[in-house]
Amino acid sequence: MNTKTIITTAMILTGVGLMVVSYLFMATPVCNTSITCRDPVTPFAPGVFVLGILIAFSSGIFYSVYQGRK
Amino acid sequence: MTTEAIPQSEPTLDDALPQGIGKLTTAWILFFIAMVVITAVGVYAYLLQVNSGLIVTGMRGLGTMAGATWGLYVAYYVYFIGVSFAGITVAALIRIFRIEKLEPVARIGELLTVVALMLGALAILADLEHPQRAMINLVKLGRPQSPFFGTFTMVIAGYLFASLVYLYVTSRKDAATLAHRSSRFQGLYRFLAAGYKETSDQRATDRRATFWLAIAIVPLLVIAHSTVGFVFGLQAGRPGWFGTLQAPGFVVLAGVSGIGNLIMLAAIVRVATRTKHRITVDAMSWLAKLLLGLLVTYLYFTVVEILTITYQPGESEQALSEALLSGTYAWIFWGAIVSLVVAAALLIWQALTRQWSIGLIVAAGVLVNIGAVAKRYLIVVPSQTHGQLLPYPVGSYSPNWVEWAVVLGLFALGAFMIGVFMKVFPIVPLEEAE
Repeated sequence: MNTKTIITTAMILTGVGLMVVSYLFMATPVCNTSITCRDPVTPFAPGVFVLGILIAFSSGIFYSVYQGRK
Repeated sequence: MTTEAIPQSEPTLDDALPQGIGKLTTAWILFFIAMVVITAVGVYAYLLQVNSGLIVTGMRGLGTMAGATWGLYVAYYVYFIGVSFAGITVAALIRIFRIEKLEPVARIGELLTVVALMLGALAILADLEHPQRAMINLVKLGRPQSPFFGTFTMVIAGYLFASLVYLYVTSRKDAATLAHRSSRFQGLYRFLAAGYKETSDQRATDRRATFWLAIAIVPLLVIAHSTVGFVFGLQAGRPGWFGTLQAPGFVVLAGVSGIGNLIMLAAIVRVATRTKHRITVDAMSWLAKLLLGLLVTYLYFTVVEILTITYQPGESEQALSEALLSGTYAWIFWGAIVSLVVAAALLIWQALTRQWSIGLIVAAGVLVNIGAVAKRYLIVVPSQTHGQLLPYPVGSYSPNWVEWAVVLGLFALGAFMIGVFMKVFPIVPLEEAE
């Protein structure tokens, strides 16, 4: 694997990882019966989810633009 | 014998650019002025609303105030998000199924997606009395249990960003081509090209990048449009909204309005940029076939919906179905049905005779958009005014000039953005010869 593929894969995994963590552990969709969990456990969980989307899709630009070492 | 020099116009710096980029004719200047004026009126109306509150609109509280809290803004939010369907669908079709005949309209669709998503976001912000609170609290406190979480994350952030990335990656090659020509935009093209070199490696990289982006965006597209449907479909206490068909219905009607819009815009672009040889009848007929498939599916959904709400309705459902089929909203409902059926008939007739006419395809595109706007209005409003489970009086809602000015301002802003893009960058991908 070359540098471009490694960094692109890392960006996708980081982005998806942030989405999964923010959705399942920071915003906790399963906690929907109690009034105590009316807000996300961690504030800005949706923001982290969006950040994950941005990083994952930015990998497309990186993959296309990055030329690597000559 | 004397010879007179034939007067010739001086070649300008932008003469080397294709598709009329950088050249402003009188018609274009008038177009831009008109769009700026309409947008300014919309901004004025919106500022009036920000200063005085939503009381200046036609919207009122549900129940005791016998009004509707979601009106024209929400109807057009749903419509704009629907229109965004076109770009990525067409792009995905080209990349995944290799339908090369659609290549010339791909960038038009991608641009339409980006602009429509921006307008959708602005439309929903216009509906809020304090939009600044939403911008902070959605990021801070949004709950994944709520469909609005999906609307914010998937639609506004994910879908818009992914579409921008796709538009950029597919535009680099043309930016690199134009960067070699002297023009006032040369610096911009160099920046966008970002070192692009026309090599077999780069072409292969771009093919891979756009293919996988298309693969990633398609599920995002379905989730995004379904999420907008869930905003209505998950509300058990609102007859007319609650139902399993809302999400798939939203996806399909999004496709209908999106492809219809793409057809209209492609027809304008092929004349405005003199690219009739690129955007051919063949390319338009592909869009028409796609539109026909989605339209027939949506008409089937509509029949199923009518049969379900009229077969054995409860008291609230009956009041709602009467308002839709023979009451207050009947003219909008039957107007929408007639528009969609006539559009389907136009497309079926052309498909059967295998003789496609751009005029008739565009007519179908216009008709489905009239139908789609009407259907969006009917999805949003009647369930609030006539779908009461509690014994409140029947409500009413009429959008006033403030709402119409804001919505028209959004349309003008969208047209302005597309116009600026057309004057800065080739909206139809360049041919190898160019």
